[in-house]
Amino acid sequence: MIHILVVDDDAELNRTVCTYLNDCGFAVRGVLSAQEAYDAMYNTLYDLIVSDIMMPQTDGFAFARSVRQVNRRIPILFLSARDDLTSKQKGFQLGIDDYMVKPIELAELEMRVRALLRRANIEMQRRLTAGGLVMDADAMTAEWNGEEIPVTTREFNLLYKLLSYPKKTFTRAQLMDEFWGLDSETGLRAVDVYITRLRDKFSACDSFEIKTVRGLGYKAVLR
Amino acid sequence: MKEKDSRIKRAVFPASAFVIALVLFALLTTVQMRMIGNYIDYRSIPIGVMVQVIAFWMAGAVFFTLLTSCQLRVNYDQPLERLSDAARKVAAGDFSVYLRPRHTPDKADKIDVLTQDFNKMVEELGSMETLRTDFFSDVSHEFKTPLAVICSNAELLQKSGGLTERQQEQLDGIQDAGRRLSHLIYNMLKLNKLEKQTIQPVPESYDLCAQLAACAVQFEDEWERRNIEFDAELEERAFARADPGLMELVWNNLLSNAIKFTPCGGRVSLTQTRQDGWISVTVRDTGRGMDEETQRHIYDKFYQGDAGRATQGNGLGLTLVRRILELSDAEITVQSAPGQGAAFTVRLPAATEREEP
Repeated sequence: MIHILVVDDDAELNRTVCTYLNDCGFAVRGVLSAQEAYDAMYNTLYDLIVSDIMMPQTDGFAFARSVRQVNRRIPILFLSARDDLTSKQKGFQLGIDDYMVKPIELAELEMRVRALLRRANIEMQRRLTAGGLVMDADAMTAEWNGEEIPVTTREFNLLYKLLSYPKKTFTRAQLMDEFWGLDSETGLRAVDVYITRLRDKFSACDSFEIKTVRGLGYKAVLR
Repeated sequence: MKEKDSRIKRAVFPASAFVIALVLFALLTTVQMRMIGNYIDYRSIPIGVMVQVIAFWMAGAVFFTLLTSCQLRVNYDQPLERLSDAARKVAAGDFSVYLRPRHTPDKADKIDVLTQDFNKMVEELGSMETLRTDFFSDVSHEFKTPLAVICSNAELLQKSGGLTERQQEQLDGIQDAGRRLSHLIYNMLKLNKLEKQTIQPVPESYDLCAQLAACAVQFEDEWERRNIEFDAELEERAFARADPGLMELVWNNLLSNAIKFTPCGGRVSLTQTRQDGWISVTVRDTGRGMDEETQRHIYDKFYQGDAGRATQGNGLGLTLVRRILELSDAEITVQSAPGQGAAFTVRLPAATEREEP
């Protein structure tokens, strides 16, 4: 049973979100302030936190900061009426995992919550499976049906990322940012090269496929 | 020297005025001649001197015409010209226009009085405009909360299950409408903030191609669902000078429109090129296209080119786009013909060499 904590001073919205997520099959608790949240977290271990930003006394940012100090892993999703880039940046800098702007679509919230949980699961396990493929992030190994396929660090990370978010398209620039850092001398072609190599190496794996979204980027699709 | 307003048909040196002056002088001198005629023998005056006298009076007439013309220009033409310019600015939406009267109050002439009345009028228009934009933003804000309640309750109902197919459809209907309203309110508020200058673009140098790709990818589900072929032709990297948060809205609106108005199985393309310090981005679709009349109005608020499509758009997307571009040193052009889709091209400044990281 997955436990979710919802922190929002808007009682109506809080109740709505809790009801919906409960109907989705989670065990949800709603609290109206950061202080109440601390109390709740003291007694129960939560798998995910959904929090508002603008709350009286302790705001979402301060709350997230203090949570991160004791728990680096727990996924935090911000809900906020604030749409500006600065708020989003600030949130992500503090280490939150996702950001939604109110008014929110509950179905979308569910999608994102599930995605975050899935990712957290993968990260905690540091393992990923796709049919006969098993990737171990600690050992940096990829095995297909028990047989190891040799990959370089970058190749591993790239494939791991794509498979962690199946069906999500990543632009070449995004992949570049993540894995090549500030090495801006390398053009986006480098991404193409690595994808080709991956396709070659994993051509035997029929449980997934790396699809090209022409002109934009790549995505991993599970079969 | 300002170009003369082409609407003014009267010349600077009106021939009619000259002729009138000449005739007047001729009359006056004739009368004078009559009066002193008894003491001067006209027949003894040589032709040469007569010609000189006539020439003299013609010169006089020219001088007189010029003098009156000049007086008119300074006292009436120029102030009226300024008034005309100011009126045009106000018509274009600038309510900060204020004209100073030419004379002090104790020596005010009709033009000064007109100027004062004009200033008053502009002030009143300005305050009405403020009321309007404030009203706009207050109302939009007030809509948000109940709308959120409607939408989320509809979603809760749907999630609770046990609905007949008909009920499900009805619920879908509520949700669709709610989503459209939400979108509309969002655009209204954004547009309003831009108009009131609560938000100002903060230009910076950033990778436009990365942004375009990221925006395009967000629509992937939609174009796949409707079997639309999406083509992207972007350079690897191109640095533009603009406010990235606002430009994102521009691309999202253009892409959303293109996909919305392209039939299933159609094609949408996104191309980016660079030339002479400017970057051009074109979003092309294979929808039903627009005739010239429609093209003239697409940026108007709430304009729906085709009444039938009124169910899809919200009429503010392009208004918002244009507003953002106006404030950002960028421009947008559209090419379209009925049955031939549409191509929207945005041109924005490239970051200078110095700015590229």
